[in-house]
Amino acid sequence: MNMHTSHTLIKRVAINMLLFLTLFTLNDCKKAEEDVFEVNQVQVKPPNANKQKEKTAEQYVAILYTNLFQKGISVNLLVDYTEAIMSMGDKRLAHEILVSSFMNNPAVIIPSDTYMREQTDLFLDEAYHRFYVRPITEAERTYLTNYINNNPDVKAEHLYVSFALSNEYLFY
Amino acid sequence: MERRKFIKKVGLTTASTVILPYILPSGRLFAQQSSALAEHVVLVIFGGGVRQQEAVLKRYLSDSQGVPIEGNIMYNMLEGAPPSDKIVYGTTPSDPEATAGSEPIPKVLNETLQKQGALFQEVRSTSPGHYNGLVSMLQGNTITSQGLRQKPLLPTIFEYLRKHAGFKATDTWFVGHTIRNSVPLLNHSSHPEYGAKYGANFFAPGTTFGAEGRTAYANAKTYHPEEELSHIYHLTGFLDDYYTNIGSALVNLNNTEEEKIAIKSFMKNLYDTGTYPTDVISCAYHLFDEFKPKFTVVDFSAGVDGCHGNFTGYLRAMHKADNQVGQIWNKIQSTPGMANNTIMMCLPECGRNLNPNPIKDENDWFGYDHSDANTARIFNIMVGPNVQPNMVYGNETSPKGLSVDTVPTIAEAFGIKDIVMNQGFLNGNARSFFDHMG
Repeated sequence: MNMHTSHTLIKRVAINMLLFLTLFTLNDCKKAEEDVFEVNQVQVKPPNANKQKEKTAEQYVAILYTNLFQKGISVNLLVDYTEAIMSMGDKRLAHEILVSSFMNNPAVIIPSDTYMREQTDLFLDEAYHRFYVRPITEAERTYLTNYINNNPDVKAEHLYVSFALSNEYLFY
Repeated sequence: MERRKFIKKVGLTTASTVILPYILPSGRLFAQQSSALAEHVVLVIFGGGVRQQEAVLKRYLSDSQGVPIEGNIMYNMLEGAPPSDKIVYGTTPSDPEATAGSEPIPKVLNETLQKQGALFQEVRSTSPGHYNGLVSMLQGNTITSQGLRQKPLLPTIFEYLRKHAGFKATDTWFVGHTIRNSVPLLNHSSHPEYGAKYGANFFAPGTTFGAEGRTAYANAKTYHPEEELSHIYHLTGFLDDYYTNIGSALVNLNNTEEEKIAIKSFMKNLYDTGTYPTDVISCAYHLFDEFKPKFTVVDFSAGVDGCHGNFTGYLRAMHKADNQVGQIWNKIQSTPGMANNTIMMCLPECGRNLNPNPIKDENDWFGYDHSDANTARIFNIMVGPNVQPNMVYGNETSPKGLSVDTVPTIAEAFGIKDIVMNQGFLNGNARSFFDHMG
């Protein structure tokens, strides 16, 4: 009996030691992991930063016409408008006259002044998407909303003309 | 005491008005280094490539087609009797039996420009091509790397005048005969220190006031300057500010808001009244009346270059251009503010070959290209204040002047010759035609 007990005890101790050694060995091989917290490097740019290529006169006219009349321009008109721009030295002035001429065309499609004032956020979102093909930033929204609210004589047309004449609209 | 204060104030104000200099766009304090010779200058490009033999030498057909008929077909500009035979250089009479071109255009000047001014009868063009020739005349230099569809590489006379003499954009105009052949590129250079912001206003009247311009511009809306345009410009300014953070802002001629309004009003008035000045001369007339530009370039190049394949058409175009030069001088002299204080210069950008090409026209006359030494032979006629009348300078063996001399000449007329010469962009041999007169 004593002999049996002693044998069992030895056996248990041996098992425990083996288990301990196994656990110790496994634990010893495991690489200690440390949690590292990082932020990915992101270059923050304004939403219009990628527009670096200047539109040709043809591109400007074709896109402007489509934006304002919501339909494509005919080849004859495209040629006439483009050549008219070429025939003036001050291109900015040429654009100004052309845009004002479009605004005098009854077929031009622009939102009403009421819509601009009652749905200013929506109006600005749509204008930015229509002209700049990008969402408006909060800084732009704040400034323009304030400008509209503080100037009761500003019309939707004035904003549309400004978009059409702006530098950003001349680039893509 | 009060009286003393008053006198002191008036004295100081007067003194400051006299002493305080005018600060120019260039940063200089004084506009003119020497006194101006005239208040206005009109540079007429008698262009398209004019052969010396048919122009100054007045040989009509004798030195080109082997037909022994000589005569002067530019009798508003040059002294000399017109040809007496084979008259084809005029307009075509309505009579269907009449010979085409058999009706010479009546003389419009009582006295030729040669008599009224100075003729440099042997000037040398520094470029045998049209575009480079025009560029040379406007920038006072010829650069071999200048491309044909490229803005002038060096500053033009427009930019010198605007930067160093303080001219406004509407003080300088270029009236081109076409929107082709890179002509619209000539109103300013791409030079980083000058460029568009000092450029001239430009019209190609055949397009600006032709069908294309009427389609594009005639229906333009007139926005109220204070109630509407102020909002538009303000909002555009905001949008541009947001974009200029990145750069790439489009340059413009820096017409002020007042100048823009004036140009728009000028154009609208012409469209609304059905007055369409589609040719260079009538457009120049309207510009003289409206803006009285200090410096205008008038481009009478249309048709002359047809000489490559149509010698008859070339003679007609030269004859017509001579008539237009006479008309423009008459117009200048009848325009209040420009009469008696305008210098006009008239020269081609290049000449034409000595020998013909094989192309024959309706009269079996050979055409002429422009590439040999004869192409360098051109002339210059100057008239106006400080130009001694009835003087002829230079001859075939002793030429006087270069086509690039136009720039120092115009600069001298406006009193900024030394400033322009000192910028270092002119041809090393460029001199003012006034210096050649001495």
